[in-house]
Amino acid sequence: MISLTDFLMVSAALFCIGLYMIVSKHNAIQILIGIELMLNAAILNLVAFGKYDKIANGGQVFALFAIVLAAATTAVALAIILNVYKKYKTIDPGRINNLKD
Amino acid sequence: MLPLFAGIVNSCLPGKRNKVSGWIATAAILASCVLSVIIFAKTWNVRETHVQQLWFTIGDTKLYAGILLNNLSALMLLLVSVIALPVHIYSTAYMKNDENYDRYFIYLSFFCFSMLALVVVDSMVLLYVFWELVGFSSYLLIGFWFTREKAVQANKKAFLMNRIGDVGLLTAIIILFAQYHTFDIAQLFGEGGLAGQPTITNGLWVAHGGGLPAIWQYIACGGIFLGVAAKSAQFPLHTWLPDAMEGPTSISALIHAATMVAAGVFLLGRVYPMFTTAELDILAVIGCFTAFMAATIALTQNDLKRILAYSTISQLGFMVMAMGIGAYASSLFHLVTHAFFKCLLFLVAGIVIHQMEHIKKDNDLDIDPQNILYMGGLRKKMPFTFIAAVIAGLALIGLPLTSGYLSKDGILIQAVDWSDSKSLLFRLVPIGAIITTWLTAFYVARMIVKVFFGEFRLEQFHPHIKYHCSDGGWQYRATLILLALACLFPFFSLNPLLYEQGWIFGGFNSIQLARVNPYHTIIPAGVNILSVLLIYWAWAVYTGRKILVFPQTGLLFRLSYHEWFIDKVYNKVLVRAVLAFSKALSWFDHNIIDGFINLLPLITIALSKITAWIDHYIIDGISRVLAFIVQITGNFVRRFQGGKIQYYLFSMLAIVLALFILKILI
Repeated sequence: MISLTDFLMVSAALFCIGLYMIVSKHNAIQILIGIELMLNAAILNLVAFGKYDKIANGGQVFALFAIVLAAATTAVALAIILNVYKKYKTIDPGRINNLKD
Repeated sequence: MLPLFAGIVNSCLPGKRNKVSGWIATAAILASCVLSVIIFAKTWNVRETHVQQLWFTIGDTKLYAGILLNNLSALMLLLVSVIALPVHIYSTAYMKNDENYDRYFIYLSFFCFSMLALVVVDSMVLLYVFWELVGFSSYLLIGFWFTREKAVQANKKAFLMNRIGDVGLLTAIIILFAQYHTFDIAQLFGEGGLAGQPTITNGLWVAHGGGLPAIWQYIACGGIFLGVAAKSAQFPLHTWLPDAMEGPTSISALIHAATMVAAGVFLLGRVYPMFTTAELDILAVIGCFTAFMAATIALTQNDLKRILAYSTISQLGFMVMAMGIGAYASSLFHLVTHAFFKCLLFLVAGIVIHQMEHIKKDNDLDIDPQNILYMGGLRKKMPFTFIAAVIAGLALIGLPLTSGYLSKDGILIQAVDWSDSKSLLFRLVPIGAIITTWLTAFYVARMIVKVFFGEFRLEQFHPHIKYHCSDGGWQYRATLILLALACLFPFFSLNPLLYEQGWIFGGFNSIQLARVNPYHTIIPAGVNILSVLLIYWAWAVYTGRKILVFPQTGLLFRLSYHEWFIDKVYNKVLVRAVLAFSKALSWFDHNIIDGFINLLPLITIALSKITAWIDHYIIDGISRVLAFIVQITGNFVRRFQGGKIQYYLFSMLAIVLALFILKILI
């Protein structure tokens, strides 16, 4: 059977990949995709641990909520990126460095 | 001291071609002349004056500087100043048109100073100093026209030969000092002096302080002889004198006839007591040989001044020979008379040459103005000069009624007497002297006839020249009169035929010969009669009455004409060897020593290059590495503040991770 550890490993792998994408990509949309991946990794973790709650299925319910929130986050993020593009004419996060000292 | 002062004054008037310097020098000489007459009157046969002063002290040895005036010095003093005076007057006219008029008189005054000082000093050291100074001034004067190559070579030759003599003299002085521990001439050679009559016993040279091996005595005498030979132009060091004729003629008159060359004989006079009999014999032989050789050479020379130069060598040979045979007084007597008539002859030659140079310049010819082949018939054009020349010439030959007769025949008679007491071989010496006298008669007559009699031969070579000759101004005439008078007998002795009555004789003790000896009448008579005959013969030959009886190409002629090839031998043997040696040394110096010195900068440059490399790469390298490290670190750290949000995220992640790991570990 597929044990709990496999689910956790996959979810860790996804999380790391998402983290790597955030840290090293030069495109804001790709950073968004990385954020999505990390979210999805967390959701996978939730679902994997939901096996132990057969009465209220808390894990899966929480996962549904998280997915919806992820979608809302993504919509807002896209809106931000659009505004940023209007101002800076670029979506390379390395170029948007007005906050530096 | 006055001429020195005049010399200094002259050199302080720089660059002017003025006549004043000539008159200053002449005035100085005139004053010296007067002073020397006074000194002479006080010192001659009256007493000796000797003043001294402590000059310096080395260790235990005290060196004195002072003046010694005995008969010899007073006589020489008088002679030098009296000869120098007419020469100065003559020079003011002779050098009138020369650009270096003032330099000439500076040198001339310097020379007179040296010569006058030479004859009065009392210490051998000072004698040497002034001996060298005289040689040096002679060098300056011979090379006076230094733009002429020949003049420069001549004065170098003169100076070098004099130097050889100087070495000899210095050796002798040092040996004498080592032996007798004093430099003082009066102590060494005066009456009952230390060096008189050296005793050589068992091969040891005995003196008060101890003895030296006898060889030193010979070396000392050899050294003195070398000095005399160089200065007075004896064989083998005589070749500089004919070449020294490159200087102005008035210089030749002063230096090489009357004074400097007489310095050698003067030295002999000073150190006379030092010689042993054997050395005196050698001296006599060499003197005789020189006289004979020079007379044979003078027979064929064509340059007027060279004839006179060889004549001087010959007469000096007579003087040296006279010293050698013990005729001390005769030798000095001959010195004095020779000074007068030789000086006169040179001055006459100067006038003649001057006129020939004028002719040469006026007509733009390319002849040698000193060559007697071009002269002739000047008797009519320069009568005054002619008379003076004849008087001097007769004095040189030694005919009666002239002063030369007195001195020369004195020498001849004493020579014959001397050789009587020696072995037969020494007979050659007086015979040689007598033959030389006849040769002298012949060449002097030849010279005078060629110059003054006959036709003016230059016209035969260059037919269309115009010329005029004259005797010259009052300076020339007065000088000639003065000297000519001194060539005649009344100046020296009231009796024209007996030499012992000359006053110079009374001043020196020498071998007094009784008059009973038959030689005293035979020799003068015989010699002089033959001389007169020879004069007539020469006159006949050279005025063309008879054909030329002498072949111009025979062996004897060539030997004589080329001066017995002595110069050539010296050139080949000595000069080339010395030049080769000096070339070798200069090669050595140039390549090896300079090479070594050039090596040092190369080493230094190499060292400095290494140091530069080290400095550039290693030392700078360290600082560069440090800077690099700092740069990298800076670049790295800067990124965290760069404003890139991903780096902010990365650094947050790193810190959280570190915290987790630490939590697990601790």
